[in-house]
Amino acid sequence: MTISLAIDTATSRTIVGIVQDGKVIFEEFHEGATEHGFAITELVSKALKVFPQPDQVVVGMGPGPFTGLRVGITFAQTFGLAREIPVVGVCSLDAIEVDQSKYTVAIDARRKEIYWASYKDGLRVSGPAVSKPAEVENFIIDQFPNLQKLVALSTLQNITEPIYLRRPDAVPTAERS
Amino acid sequence: MSEPIVLGIETSCDETAIGIVRGRTLLANVIASSVEEHARFGGVVPEIASRAHLEAILPSIEKAVSDAGISLKDVDAVAVTAGPGLVGALLVGVASASGLALGLGKPLYGVNHLAAHISVDYLTHDLPSDPTIALLVSGGHSSLLQVDDITSSITKLGATMDDAAGEAFDKIARVMGLGFPGGPAIDKSALSGSPTAIDFPRGLTTSNDWATRPYDFSFSGLKTAVARYLESTPGYKKSDVAASFQESIVDVLLQKSLAACKATGIGSLVIAGGVAANSRLRFLAEERCEKAGVRLRIPSPALCTDNGAMVAALGSLMIAAGRKPSPQAFDADSGLPVERVAL
Repeated sequence: MTISLAIDTATSRTIVGIVQDGKVIFEEFHEGATEHGFAITELVSKALKVFPQPDQVVVGMGPGPFTGLRVGITFAQTFGLAREIPVVGVCSLDAIEVDQSKYTVAIDARRKEIYWASYKDGLRVSGPAVSKPAEVENFIIDQFPNLQKLVALSTLQNITEPIYLRRPDAVPTAERS
Repeated sequence: MSEPIVLGIETSCDETAIGIVRGRTLLANVIASSVEEHARFGGVVPEIASRAHLEAILPSIEKAVSDAGISLKDVDAVAVTAGPGLVGALLVGVASASGLALGLGKPLYGVNHLAAHISVDYLTHDLPSDPTIALLVSGGHSSLLQVDDITSSITKLGATMDDAAGEAFDKIARVMGLGFPGGPAIDKSALSGSPTAIDFPRGLTTSNDWATRPYDFSFSGLKTAVARYLESTPGYKKSDVAASFQESIVDVLLQKSLAACKATGIGSLVIAGGVAANSRLRFLAEERCEKAGVRLRIPSPALCTDNGAMVAALGSLMIAAGRKPSPQAFDADSGLPVERVAL
């Protein structure tokens, strides 16, 4: 029996929950693309009131807008360190649930681009990648990671680095005109 | 009861830094810098800094705890820089501190980066008698402050109107091809040059400036003057330019700091921030403060640049003063004014 604290900040939402043996016993989210830093502590505090001693932390590693994404990851890591419990990273796109056998899901990557991945029969067959929307066919956007699925992924994945997919914007001095 | 153990986290710019103190005793000071990754860009790139913070924070906390010879469970409180600084960088620190504090079930103090720079002096010198004047000079800040109580009452007397002092060092070092960061490079080059070789301007020191904005700084005019000099003087002597440029900055910083001491009747000056590691500033400050009868305190060079010990030190002082922790959830504030010592 495992009780997981689940966290995802790859989208405009800060999503936090407690998942016990595949069942979500607490879930709450806060909408606000620049408010992850504030929301995360509030939501995790609430979750701990429902269940104070989780056995592991499962966290979405993106892809997603960087600043918010890092809030969830670093919070999960230090919380896990303090509690001496494992922290398991999973792909946030994989946790978006769609009731179809073949589909593509996307997360807003800003700058007129999307992060996306395609799935067939429950397996990722393409992505994650970042592209212009016109280059990706029939994607589903504005859906959010499902905590039950996020935690289920923790038995299959253990992603330790954030999924950035983009390099930082910066031009070395020598290359400037 | 033994004094509380405070773990401090600093991520406002390009240093991921963790410090641990017990009361006023420094137990650990771990700094992971991403400065080398920024060097080829000639300045700090916010996204590179934020990524580096996330990578470094966990190993840095673990190293600090091990250096301190404690267990994480021994930590009585967590303190973190809440601002000012680069917002994406600050957020990594605040979120990691929140996760740590909530995980441990210990109070969290979100503190001001500038106040922390000043309070680190409490680890190296005897308990200071507040009040003091504080000159805070770094790559991101140049402020002259009146500190009546480090945990609750700081007044800004003046600040830079354009570049921070450290920024001016960086920019001039770049045009002279001395590399980044510019402070240590110019300091080193200046050692073999003459500070009086070239008479560079002293920003905001006309009689009108002294009457209207005595404690503000401006370094952009100096920067332009140096750039013009370099353009119009082929074969210039690098060390003389470095020494004369440095002299202009250091001279103005000290003139204004001592003027503030005199005007307020406060006979104590603390100099903090990365530029306080500059050897010429340290030398001239000692000379002039002694002459003026002002008690000078500058933290050791390692504690002048951004570090976690300063954040832990301020947290420790907040506890000693009986100040309440920050509200459970708070956000980083990139523009946090110096008057707000803590959230």
